Amino acid sequence: MLDVPIYGRIATLELFRPHGEAQDFLFIATERYKFCVLQWDADTSELVTRAMGDVSDRIGRPTDNGQIGIIDPDCRLIGLHLYDGLFKVIPFDNRGQLKEAFNIRLEELQVLDIKFLYACSKPTIVVLYQDNKDARHVKTYEVALKEKDFVEGPWSHNNLDNGASMLIPVPMPLGGVIIIGEETIVYCNGSAIKAIPTRPSITKAYGRVDADGSRYLLSDYAGLLHLLVITHDKERVTGLKIEFLGETSIASTISYLDNAFVFVGSSFGDSQLIKLNLHPNSRGSYVEVLERYVNLGPIVDFCVVDLERQGQGQVVTCSGAYKDGSLRIVRNGIGINEQASVELQGIKGMWSLRSSTDDQYDTFLVVSFISETRILAMNLDDELEETEIEGFCSEVQTLFCHDGLHDQLVQVTATSVRLVSATSRVLLKEWSAPPGFSVNVATANASQVLLATGGGHLVYLEIGDGKLNEVKHAQLEYEVSCLDINPIGEDPNCSQLAAVGMWTDMSVRLYSLPGLELITKEQLGGEIIPRSVLLCAFEGVSYLLCALGDGHLFNFVLNLSTGELTDRKKVSLGTQPIMLRTFTSKNTTYVFAASDRPTVIYSSNKKLLYSNVNLKEVSHMCPFNSAAFPDSLSIAKEGELTIGTIDDIQKLHIRTIPLGEHARRICHQEQSRTFAICSVKYPQSTNEDSELHYIRLLDDQTFEFISTYNLDTYEHGCSVLSCSFADDSNVYYCMGTAYVLPEENEPTKGRILVFIVEDGKLQLIAEKETKGAVYSLNAFNGKLLAAINQKIQLYKWMLRDDGSRELQSECGHHGHILALYVRTRGDFIVVGDLMKSISLLIYKHEESAIEERARDYNANWMTEVEILDDDIYLGAENSYNLFTVRKNSEAATDEERGRLEVVGEYHLGEFINRFRHGSLVMRVPDSDVGQIPTIIFGTINGVIGVIASLPQDQYLFLDRLQSNLVKVIKGVGGLSHEQWRSFNNEKKTVEARNFLDGDLIESFLDLSRNRMEEISKAMGVSLEELCKRVEELTRLH
Amino acid sequence: MATGGGGGGGGGGGGASKYLTDLPSRGLFSSTVVSSNPGGLRVYLCDHETSPPDDQLIKTNQTNILIRSLTLNKQKAESGSKDVKGKATTENAKGKRAAESPIDGRGSAKKSNSVSNPRTAFQDGSSSRTPQKDFQHLTVERLRSFLKERGLPTKGRKDELVARLRADKVAREEQRKEE
Repeated sequence: MLDVPIYGRIATLELFRPHGEAQDFLFIATERYKFCVLQWDADTSELVTRAMGDVSDRIGRPTDNGQIGIIDPDCRLIGLHLYDGLFKVIPFDNRGQLKEAFNIRLEELQVLDIKFLYACSKPTIVVLYQDNKDARHVKTYEVALKEKDFVEGPWSHNNLDNGASMLIPVPMPLGGVIIIGEETIVYCNGSAIKAIPTRPSITKAYGRVDADGSRYLLSDYAGLLHLLVITHDKERVTGLKIEFLGETSIASTISYLDNAFVFVGSSFGDSQLIKLNLHPNSRGSYVEVLERYVNLGPIVDFCVVDLERQGQGQVVTCSGAYKDGSLRIVRNGIGINEQASVELQGIKGMWSLRSSTDDQYDTFLVVSFISETRILAMNLDDELEETEIEGFCSEVQTLFCHDGLHDQLVQVTATSVRLVSATSRVLLKEWSAPPGFSVNVATANASQVLLATGGGHLVYLEIGDGKLNEVKHAQLEYEVSCLDINPIGEDPNCSQLAAVGMWTDMSVRLYSLPGLELITKEQLGGEIIPRSVLLCAFEGVSYLLCALGDGHLFNFVLNLSTGELTDRKKVSLGTQPIMLRTFTSKNTTYVFAASDRPTVIYSSNKKLLYSNVNLKEVSHMCPFNSAAFPDSLSIAKEGELTIGTIDDIQKLHIRTIPLGEHARRICHQEQSRTFAICSVKYPQSTNEDSELHYIRLLDDQTFEFISTYNLDTYEHGCSVLSCSFADDSNVYYCMGTAYVLPEENEPTKGRILVFIVEDGKLQLIAEKETKGAVYSLNAFNGKLLAAINQKIQLYKWMLRDDGSRELQSECGHHGHILALYVRTRGDFIVVGDLMKSISLLIYKHEESAIEERARDYNANWMTEVEILDDDIYLGAENSYNLFTVRKNSEAATDEERGRLEVVGEYHLGEFINRFRHGSLVMRVPDSDVGQIPTIIFGTINGVIGVIASLPQDQYLFLDRLQSNLVKVIKGVGGLSHEQWRSFNNEKKTVEARNFLDGDLIESFLDLSRNRMEEISKAMGVSLEELCKRVEELTRLH
Repeated sequence: MATGGGGGGGGGGGGASKYLTDLPSRGLFSSTVVSSNPGGLRVYLCDHETSPPDDQLIKTNQTNILIRSLTLNKQKAESGSKDVKGKATTENAKGKRAAESPIDGRGSAKKSNSVSNPRTAFQDGSSSRTPQKDFQHLTVERLRSFLKERGLPTKGRKDELVARLRADKVAREEQRKEE
């Protein structure tokens, strides 16, 4: 249906129906204490804000166990538990409107769960809490709305299971509540208590199956799905039963949909749509997984690699947790799966032809060169071999080929148009160009041929059965540069319109067929000639595309009956001339734009989208749907002809490598073509096995484990690096580890292990014990820089007398709480501390010492740092903010030089685990956007994002656009964009600065024409220019 | 799981089957073929007005909880004192008592007992002793200004000041009664 951006991190989400309303409302509360009530208006397809507000308090300690938001089943009030010791009530009046909120003191400070009980005369909450002695109890309160206070509820229940963590209110007629513990499940309604023991397990999510609440689905931390059944005699509960159903992803939410279909939402693995079968399968599972919905979260680490060596980055993430751990290969753009290829130089054009009009497959592939034409065909062994069509002229270049009606083929050369029988392959008819004129450009469809000769002559021919009739001739004022008569009207064989691109006046025109009368003329502006025009239709909308010689593309919406061109847009696809062709994949039409940056143009929700193809440079493309290679494309590139199938047309392609264990660090080594990962395998069952830690080597093509190094008991892998050292040509993998002993708060021992990959095996070359966890490793001036607890330590790679190597400590720098994240640039070292923000160190060669140069004195709890350039460093902190600091090397005083000045601040709303330099898109070096440095980040929620360092003028331009957009694009539910993006942590809240919200800016392209024009007017910039600038931005990711 | 898990895993036919019958259905998802592409979701573009109706911009009542409970109690006390003196408690208080009594009766909720007791004590006390409590809460400076108003000596420790004020108040009340 819809993907609705919300300006906030959603803390609670509840559906409810106030009295007298015909449809449900949605209550959303955000982590930054805003809430809104939304209603879907089906007539306008809009989300209407019914109410919104701020529920923050000036004092109060935020809850440790997460915010709770609940709605009384009889819709008398909304209850919120946001701060310890406070219960906030937003009452409804009897018309279903919300009234002023108020707080009630809640005596229980450590609240684990609160739910409303069903069908109580006064709204009644049941509170699960923990007391000072860590015992857990439940208690009920009635909410007295008039007095704005609690009244002791009807019952309470003390000393529950120590792991009790979840309440499930049971609807009428049974009423009461189910308390889910780690070893017991208790039903309780004040008068009756039923309990059953369970196998020890931590339940993470529940979903109600029946409206009367007699069956529930429970899922635990290992993704085991159980059915909880309440047996009852309509009024009284007689007992509880729990049955194992099967295994799913580790669920964070379960929703019973209908007819035995269940949605399992997971934040540790893929979400799933499952079906509950009445009978178990051979493995005793009642669960059938019907569909998986990709979730990359939590991304703990990732690396950017170019496995196909095409100059385009791919991201390989460590995704998922526990048993759902996996590697994900995320690739932008559309891949071509090569089926066959031959070396062929100098291809000038390609067309596929069928052997009869009714044949569903293509038989011939006509390949044109500068002075000859070759015809390839599939032989009986499904091999492509050269063949001949007698009626074709093969000694000259072919300008165009097409299948004609009545089992005929058309070939256009510089001198003539040849009509050939597809069955006998003999020439049936030939039309020759007038003497002294040669055909420059030509196009055709099944029944029409349009060609242009020198001197601006346009000739229109019609194809009959064995006939070729010159129907019309027109003289144009300039030379024709390109033509198209792709039929997009009602008749699939015949077009009413011809698109013509012109030299000299740089225009694109539409002529009527067969009359050749000028209908529309559109000046393109500029001095670049149109090189390819195409009429096409996507999702019922007709377009005229016009590609220029410099890699730009115009698109217009075309009115088929009037020939009117509207909604002119210009985008930059590459830097070289573009050739446009349509092709069909999975019954949908797409356009392939062949250039130095091949692109597929398609349409989604009536908007044109551009997705790049993962090939370097394509000069020509034609669809080639043969029996042996169905749905394939024939692609001419760099002296090669390739036949391949195309991926699904979508922007991102994600491949999953399930590991069955939790990968925590990953690193790629170009030289050995391997990945190294640190991973944890959790015990499968409750046998008291402790977790096992590994360093594993994977092949970078097959992603199979090819070698494993077992770490010691309690030893965790913390960091991994591929590097080489001074005076040693080998490339090594360095691993940092920590011994995490249960009795220690911080590890006091760790190791650095140096491996070399030999014959696909990890060989341990050297190891060095450290006095703490090795949180980070960096290659630094041919040495190894490690962050070990509070210390930054530099190691030299020394040759011993016996020829073996060892790491020898050179110097270090103390003074951090925990140096968790380290990046280096030249002699500079940037450290992200656990709680002391960013500091800048410098290594002094002469003294062989590391000294602090500057630091940021804010107390930010860092989650990652990265160096943007010599002076600017980027940090992410644990309140979901981003900030940048600047080195002040020109400052007058030492004091100022010693301070990293905060220059940018922004609330991202995502917990970032990793920054990496790189890009997911192929970079065209001489384009504007190719110069913009980008950083990719990965977050706990599985978001992959891009941070681009924009040049100042572009920043100012887009900043202006953003501030205009905010006036037009409102926050759903009345939430404010400005407040959402303001930097916010426990200590301060300040407005965002020097960061822009790319998602917001790009949504400009989705706006209606009127809105766009509104903004264009407000900014005083032409709409075409605005669209182009924003489209350019979308090319960064 | 204690019993059912083993059965479900090994038994095959038995187990959860009997509990999986009659799963609720409204006739949706009748086909097992699911064809959806969650990646192709349309992103909602909100270019319409989103501010809520005027009276539905909700704010929190800024009254401090303590002050509110005090004023509430005071109101109760006042409405109580307006009643005939023989019926010491108002209807309101009665209702509250009634709600509390089952808990006292059950006796299992030790915590709730201990919670409710001080509260009732507080309520009882509040009706007559609120002013004295107020004296104790005031700062020495305020106490002194009160004393000054009443023409009493303003010297001494806080306890003494409070005692002086209380004595004065009792004296005045008695005076009023006599009148």
